[in-house]
Amino acid sequence: MSNTDQATLAATQSQRPPFYRDATVVKWLAQVFTLLLVVFALFFLTTQALENLNRQGIEIKYDFLSIGLGSDLREGIDTDPDTAGRALWAGAVNTLRIAAGGIVAATILGVLIGVGRLSSNWIVSRMCSVYIETIRNIPLLVQIVLIWALVATLPDVELDQGPINGLLHLSNKGMSVPRLHIDDGFYQWLIFIGAGWLVGTFVKRRRERRHDATGRDTYPVLSFLAVLAAFGAVGWVAHPMFRWVGAIFDFIGDGFSSLTPVVVQVVLSLAALAAAAWWIRRFLARLRTPAGLMKLTDDDKFRIIFAGVGALAVIAFMLVGWPGLASWIINSGTDLLGVIADKFGDGRTGQPLDIKRPDVEQLGNFPNPGPAGLNLTQGGAAVFFGVVLYTASFIAEIVRGGILAVPKGQTEAAQAVGLRRVTMLRRVILPQAFRVILPPLGNQYLNLTKNTSLAIAVGYSDFVQVGQIVYNQTGKTLEVISLWMLFYLACSLTISVVVNFFNIRMKIVER
Amino acid sequence: MSVSDATTALTEELAARDDMIVCEGVNKWFGDFQALDGITAIIKEREVVVVLGPSGSGKSTWIRCINRLEAHQEGRIVVDGVELTNDLRNIEKIRSEVGMVFQQFNLFPHLTVEDNVTLAPIWVRKKPKGEAEELARSLLERVGIPEQAEKYPGQLSGGQQQRVAIARALAMEPRIMLFDEPTSVIKEVLDVMKELALSGMTMMVVTHEMGFAREVADRVIFMEDGQIVETGTPEHFFTDPREERTKLFLSQIL
Repeated sequence: MSNTDQATLAATQSQRPPFYRDATVVKWLAQVFTLLLVVFALFFLTTQALENLNRQGIEIKYDFLSIGLGSDLREGIDTDPDTAGRALWAGAVNTLRIAAGGIVAATILGVLIGVGRLSSNWIVSRMCSVYIETIRNIPLLVQIVLIWALVATLPDVELDQGPINGLLHLSNKGMSVPRLHIDDGFYQWLIFIGAGWLVGTFVKRRRERRHDATGRDTYPVLSFLAVLAAFGAVGWVAHPMFRWVGAIFDFIGDGFSSLTPVVVQVVLSLAALAAAAWWIRRFLARLRTPAGLMKLTDDDKFRIIFAGVGALAVIAFMLVGWPGLASWIINSGTDLLGVIADKFGDGRTGQPLDIKRPDVEQLGNFPNPGPAGLNLTQGGAAVFFGVVLYTASFIAEIVRGGILAVPKGQTEAAQAVGLRRVTMLRRVILPQAFRVILPPLGNQYLNLTKNTSLAIAVGYSDFVQVGQIVYNQTGKTLEVISLWMLFYLACSLTISVVVNFFNIRMKIVER
Repeated sequence: MSVSDATTALTEELAARDDMIVCEGVNKWFGDFQALDGITAIIKEREVVVVLGPSGSGKSTWIRCINRLEAHQEGRIVVDGVELTNDLRNIEKIRSEVGMVFQQFNLFPHLTVEDNVTLAPIWVRKKPKGEAEELARSLLERVGIPEQAEKYPGQLSGGQQQRVAIARALAMEPRIMLFDEPTSVIKEVLDVMKELALSGMTMMVVTHEMGFAREVADRVIFMEDGQIVETGTPEHFFTDPREERTKLFLSQIL
């Protein structure tokens, strides 16, 4: 090979292809193009929709949230709301209550049934199979209406009759159980719990280290719980000593309210820039080898530019897109600090928590379960048990699948090295089963939350049902639908974030 | 010294040692199928026994009965003076004295190599973590993969996984090692097994690896249809088998 040949070869290798053949450039251009297309399409559709609505004299406005609502809710934190916004808030709280309680209950029930189906006890495993196959093959709406109808057959509430001051009261008005009331000293007591958590974590770590050093059983988790319980017990009587904490929040709140919007805007801008800088730093740190920084590919450069542009976009939105954001933050921040400050104080010397049994009161023509107990109305019970029983059947199958997905050889290997059953489950089987169970379990949580909207069929005052009342009275259909969508999106994203957090932790454990 | 002289000498020498594994009339059925049919054998301390036989002959079932991964239905199995019964304490005692290496390795995929090895010493033997890690490092050194300690089983080759499995079993400091058809018998694994045999470990090896049987085994047991057909020293077994079934098997496999 001659010298010229070599020179040509080198030149060809180092030459970049034209940009329309450069894989990296094409990829990024496609991304940016798609983004612009989506933004433009959304912009076009919204302006068109607004224009058409305007032509018909309909305005998209959310001021209906602060006008009065002429009807009562069946249940919730506020059954006689002053405004539509307050009513929707009460509905949202009802939905969240059912969803949160439902997720906990469906998980417990589902795990029990799933493990039960694997049981070597013939009757238990058969019963679990029958449960799963029956429940998951009947539409949820049918089950909810069925439970509602069943509750209707229960006896009436009577003032002087029934196990009303007992632990569980069932009637055609629904069910009541004893309820934990947050009492006077709760928030001051929380400080003790927080401190107990910190100290407990410290003790737990120390005990884990001692186990590592000596090999003896040191029960780290149990000691953590013991420390927490001890702090809780001391705090139960000693919590008034923290009555001065409210003053601190008052002080911070005063300082916060005296901020000018410009200061907030500057701080938030700096925070956005700092976040971008932090991300870029971390990104570069990943590319750093002992020999020095790796050569950045075009891909990497695009990413860094994108992070910077993203931060600038956030700042632009804050300054131009929504100039009122800063004062809104100041106002709500001050309100929030004021509320927190109010939770502490001289008057708050009572016990932190109180448990009350269900009671009965007669305000109108008929007696009803009173405010002392935790009440589920007929509709609430129908929705709650409907989604719990239904989702539990799916969770049971997920749990069963996850446990079966761990090969038998793992059990045998654990047995062969002499691990006891509990240690084997804790250290070998469950960590592997969790990896399989977690993602579909998250899906079931999402399903459960969204399925609570079937409450509308039985008149439970959830977010959807209240929204329906609101738009029937105000005519603001589009606005209410947009709120529904935002609300369920927020719920789903929250659940996704939590489940993904655990997912990632599990993944790191594996590889 | 003739083959028969050697056999006699070995037999005498063995007779003087302690019994490690005693099986008497062990029977086991899977449904209608009889997997083990009157297995009677005594394995002495420091003896290396290779179990040969066509597939489905019950070799694996037998050694899996010895640490109770399968339960035998009739007969007696006594391991180092402890009889295998339904008594959980006996099962635990035997399992912590008998190491087992599986055909499919069965390493714990969610733990690093080192954690695979230290798991049992920490949670069964209650060893301090530092001590267990030291033990793990020396064992990984012994099986020739000290540099893989931080990796996960999925990142290792078959032969490396096999050696981790051996290290994991050795971490319990067992008196007996059972090998259930180690498939990836590359030279390094074979060397580790030979070294183990020379160090005086009592070993039972189910294998198709004739080289190992010839070189290392003190005794070869040939099984077919759940029965022990023939037993003998490797010299005797490979050169002058008595039974027709053994001759047939050897003619097929050699």
